[in-house]
Amino acid sequence: MTTRRGFLASALAAAAIPRLSWADAGAPAYLGAAREADGAFALFGLSATGDDLFRIPLPDRGHAAAAHPDAPEAVAFARRPGTFALVIDCATGQVRHRLEAPEGRHFYGHGAFIDGGETLCTTENDFGTGDGRIGLWSRSAGYRRIGEIASHGTGPHDIKVLPGDVLVVANGGIRTHPDKGREKLNLDTMRPSLVYLDAEGALLDKVELERDLHKNSIRHLAVRPDGLVAFATQWQGAPSDGVPLLGLHRRGAAAKLAEADLAEQIAMQGYAGSVAFAGDGQSVAITSPRGGRLHRFAPDGAFLGTVRRRDVCGLAPAPGGFLASDGLGALVEVSDRLSPLASRAGRAWDNHLIRLDTA
Amino acid sequence: MRHLAAALIFAASPAFAGVEEAIDDHILPATAAFEAATEDLARTAQADCRAETLRSAYQDAFDAWMGISHLRLGPLEEDGRALAIGFWPDTRGMVQRTVAGLLADADPVVESPEAFAEVSVAGRGLFALERLLYDDAVSGYGADDYACALATAIARDLHRMAEDIDTEWREDFAATLRTAGKPGNDTFLTDKEAAQALYTALTTGLEFTKDQRLGRPMGTFDRPRPERAEARRAGRSLHNVELSLEALRDLARALATGPTPDTEAAFAAALELAAELDPVLADVAQVQGRFEAEILQQRIEAIQHAVANEIGVTLGVSAGFNATDGD
Repeated sequence: MTTRRGFLASALAAAAIPRLSWADAGAPAYLGAAREADGAFALFGLSATGDDLFRIPLPDRGHAAAAHPDAPEAVAFARRPGTFALVIDCATGQVRHRLEAPEGRHFYGHGAFIDGGETLCTTENDFGTGDGRIGLWSRSAGYRRIGEIASHGTGPHDIKVLPGDVLVVANGGIRTHPDKGREKLNLDTMRPSLVYLDAEGALLDKVELERDLHKNSIRHLAVRPDGLVAFATQWQGAPSDGVPLLGLHRRGAAAKLAEADLAEQIAMQGYAGSVAFAGDGQSVAITSPRGGRLHRFAPDGAFLGTVRRRDVCGLAPAPGGFLASDGLGALVEVSDRLSPLASRAGRAWDNHLIRLDTA
Repeated sequence: MRHLAAALIFAASPAFAGVEEAIDDHILPATAAFEAATEDLARTAQADCRAETLRSAYQDAFDAWMGISHLRLGPLEEDGRALAIGFWPDTRGMVQRTVAGLLADADPVVESPEAFAEVSVAGRGLFALERLLYDDAVSGYGADDYACALATAIARDLHRMAEDIDTEWREDFAATLRTAGKPGNDTFLTDKEAAQALYTALTTGLEFTKDQRLGRPMGTFDRPRPERAEARRAGRSLHNVELSLEALRDLARALATGPTPDTEAAFAAALELAAELDPVLADVAQVQGRFEAEILQQRIEAIQHAVANEIGVTLGVSAGFNATDGD
């Protein structure tokens, strides 16, 4: 319980101490969550070469994390349909806040900061109606919930921010209800979309795929500083259909779907787990843990090649291309080939790697 | 020699238990058998490419393919070979469309092996050849018809791929597995990854036979889809189920480091029941046939559990963390 004196003391202390930055957490280049050999889960801060800089225990398996742009704070989300997220001070390892999804809502596992890091946006399911929502949380008010906006679709999963605080949201299109676990309730009628919103919730743009691809759930996003958006999909039809799993879109233009040759496309098993632009922005890649491979494309959608790696999923930009993580404990650098950085037997890296640009 | 030395050193490490046995007793004999069977198919076609002449060699080649089709690592992953040899399940009806296109155009691509290797994977391999040999609308072709040249090109292409697979396993990929975790090995980054990869081939193969080879023709109770059974024109849907289970049992035995009574019993129970089903699984459309196919699926599930306990646990490996999650 905060007393008036305690509040003043901490306010004074905050004013006296220089504000912490990511340097105080060891200047990590990446965040990644993993299951460890003993079955416990943790969030790791990683150097550019894949070394551990910090390790913070997590109560359960996570999905993704949202990193604050300046302060060494990460918001770690439980796997869907999780109802909590933890704000972790990466300099001290302490949990600063625990976000609870409002009644009737659950998180999908992704979030992003706007307003220079003051507002956290979280993708949520209003599972009574099935409407997608973006929850808004004020950091300066101790991550109090301050409002929400519509995602203009069902099942908003990943969320990213474009210059000018334009939110881009992947509405996966799949309706679920926590009473039924991860069961998909609307596969025949699902209609995923890529949606652009401003912070007040105004719908700026909405992209949908052709009717015959309506089962291609738009899940994960990567953005390039110039506004090019890459979206990765998960096909809800047969894995052997070999449909495209990567799209590229720029506001005001049509989306471009990118695919490899038929055999490679089918080998992805209809599933892309993560998407990222290369460090130089000159290529984009998607991972398929089910297919044990990563596909690289040019920004115009031309297929550049395959790099095979078992159970690969996490993916983030790196200076020479990409950094990828997998369920076998490895971190590998990927250009047109694979170069192992670090491998820790017994550690299973989870779905996503988060690149920090604040080091 | 170098590879032999490496083999002797690593054979003692627990992480390599089973890997040597899988390579020597399971994989290399099977890649050699597939090479030999496709060579015979290609030679037969060269002499007489008509359907009735080719069918026997085709069946033998398909049998041999079932001995390696689950080895989705290394050479089978190169150049889309696994699909170029066995394009199934064909959920978009591409084999029929591609073969029909080649026939309609009398595409001269069949004249050059190099050019034919670039044809869509749906127009090559065992399933494209099945259309020519067993589809009544096509299989009556004569020795001078285009279909005969296409059959020859497919047979030759199959042998080319089989030869490459066998050679690459022998000269390269076996050593890659044996040197898992050593500096310079960018395929298997830790010693455990070799066993993990072979174990994954085993579990994925079991799942494929249960969910695809049986599950696809079963469809749903309200809508069974017997026309989707694998290689039903060639009359080998059930045979493929049996051969795949036998090949997977072979791999399980090689990987096992101790006694595996539950795995053995589970394979025996599944194979015993499989022997009683309809050869092309056509009766999954009837209540009794569907019931039996469901029981067979359950028996394959029992194999999966036994394999996880008796082989996965001993090797210290399990199914993919991310591959089995999905989000």
